[in-house]
Amino acid sequence: MAIDPTAAHTATPAATPPATAADLDDDIYVEGADWESVVDAVSDDHITVNMGPQHPSTHGVLRLVLDLDGETVTRLTPIVGYLHTGIEKNTEVRTWVQGTTFVTRMDYLSPFFNEAAFCLATEKLLGIEVPERAEVVRVILLEFNRIASHLVWLATGGMELGSTTVMEFGFREREHVLDLFEAQSGLRMNHAYIRPGGLAQDVTDDFLERSAALVDLLTERMRDYEDLLVENPIWHARLKNVGHIDADTCLRLGVTGPVLRAAGVPWDLRKAQPYSGYERYEFEVPTRTEGDSFARFLIRLEEMRQSMHIIRQALELLPGGPVMVDDKRIAWPSQQSLGADGIGNDPDYIRHIMGESMEALINHFKLVTQGFTVPPGQVYVPVESPRGELGYAVTSIGTNKPYRVHVRAPSFVNLQAADVMARGQGVADVVVVVASLDPVMGDVDR
Amino acid sequence: MSHVTPVPGTSPSVGAQLPTTTTGVAGRSALSLDDIAQRITVRFPAVRAEQAFGELTLHVEPDDLLEVVTFCRDDDELSCELLSDLSGVHWPAGEHTIARQTSTTGWPDYRVSREQGVVEVLYILRSVSRNHHFRISAGTVDTSPRLPSVTGVYPTANFHEREVYDFFGVEFDGHPDLTRILMPDDWVGHPHRKDYPLGGIDIPYKNDKFIPPPHERDLREVID
Repeated sequence: MAIDPTAAHTATPAATPPATAADLDDDIYVEGADWESVVDAVSDDHITVNMGPQHPSTHGVLRLVLDLDGETVTRLTPIVGYLHTGIEKNTEVRTWVQGTTFVTRMDYLSPFFNEAAFCLATEKLLGIEVPERAEVVRVILLEFNRIASHLVWLATGGMELGSTTVMEFGFREREHVLDLFEAQSGLRMNHAYIRPGGLAQDVTDDFLERSAALVDLLTERMRDYEDLLVENPIWHARLKNVGHIDADTCLRLGVTGPVLRAAGVPWDLRKAQPYSGYERYEFEVPTRTEGDSFARFLIRLEEMRQSMHIIRQALELLPGGPVMVDDKRIAWPSQQSLGADGIGNDPDYIRHIMGESMEALINHFKLVTQGFTVPPGQVYVPVESPRGELGYAVTSIGTNKPYRVHVRAPSFVNLQAADVMARGQGVADVVVVVASLDPVMGDVDR
Repeated sequence: MSHVTPVPGTSPSVGAQLPTTTTGVAGRSALSLDDIAQRITVRFPAVRAEQAFGELTLHVEPDDLLEVVTFCRDDDELSCELLSDLSGVHWPAGEHTIARQTSTTGWPDYRVSREQGVVEVLYILRSVSRNHHFRISAGTVDTSPRLPSVTGVYPTANFHEREVYDFFGVEFDGHPDLTRILMPDDWVGHPHRKDYPLGGIDIPYKNDKFIPPPHERDLREVID
């Protein structure tokens, strides 16, 4: 006889005599009210508990099925798909430029990485190179985005461990970064600012000044995090030796990013296969050998510092010139200025297409309504996102829409390691394990 | 790559050392695409190598797939420790013509005629120690798609193969738990196949509202 989960709430303990072990099937359904009777009845301590999908500590709509031996996790099964929105499928019926608007919504904590990877794949198929200024601005945005993403990881991770101070700190600084993004692209998240061929529009001087000031501010605040956490005994007790994974297991399970680097492998695609001109910047790839949650925390902290280092160099390096490729078949107008009516326009461009050249108007109309065509072929373009290798496997058949876009989402792959990392740990450590993997469910479920 | 640095923390001396597993990352240079292709085609003459966009694709028969993938992992020259990506593409049967704006691009229209539809499964194998990567492509008929599972060689393929099964219906022999992963468990059909209808089918959401297929759709209704 299995315990009826629906009856548990209504029946009093006296009305339902405790079941004996022989009566029980392998599956035991536990709800709050029948806890005592179940614990009395079970001869060994093996229990299967469901965690999520609506749980404050699972980083979004992630469901975990935990097999427990007493307080110890013997198996963790992640169940995903609650946030599946079919973005990959949607890009197949939109033009290449519209695709940017979709993919930026996948990993909502690092939208620029999705845009950049999609655009790099498109540009590889087109065989074009974006102007230098656009590349440098991309790097600035990507690195700021990496900082923002790591800050959210720190904030939510801290909150899941019960430290609201860390949460306040992380979200406070991240808000500054989002303000910066908003000032430039008009949106806090999901910008669609990086476009195939360059950028949606040029950056303003205000953006550059604010960027420099923000890097200084973040450098200062980074010291606060260190003072608060690096020697904090509670932080140590919760993170050290929790969720251990070694380098071999990482590679077998496809785990990349900070988790792999915390296990001792200095693998960073920005160094290994530089894209967007990363070979021009001096930065270091931090590694540690412990492979536990605390090592991952230190790695991410150091990565934020390295990102600031890159941003400083990029701001100094930033050349003049256009931010969109000089090919009228691909380039949207990108030299826009804000008019008195509050709408961004490019007066010279409008004068050209409306007053001077009928052909330019036709080209503009075709470009905006039909989009451009992309040569047929298959490419795989990976970038180093805050969570690991974010790869776009794009197939084109030479039309104005992608034939197939597949995203190698780092959160999706890394989540497989949660089982290995959680086994043998306590139930409370499951929260730390999942948090230290930093999965974003928008990225997992796409 | 000699850019390894310890992170300031509680025990910086530990961070300064590298475990033996990473010596390869620092030490060995990447093989060129030609060398990779030659290394594999010499061992497996049936494999067809193709280069485009600076990427190498190796077309492998499904029967040879496991052997080739295992060779790529275990061979000292290739040493592909990481299966980076695994994805599917559906190429349906029948006549297909897509206009490609010949007037502006100069390309002929896309015309393809296939007697048998194919689901192409693409594996990106990567060597972290040597820093090279390439693609393996295995095709299977789309009427009863079936491929050997590589989970025994690369455990990371577990989620990937479940995703390809979910979206394309490819059954991977030897997969430990081949169930749907992103779509609901009771979903009918495999939505990333090109023969999967876009509308015109029952959708269990949207207040059970029936959405007609695109060519029968009234745009004014959609806007409402």
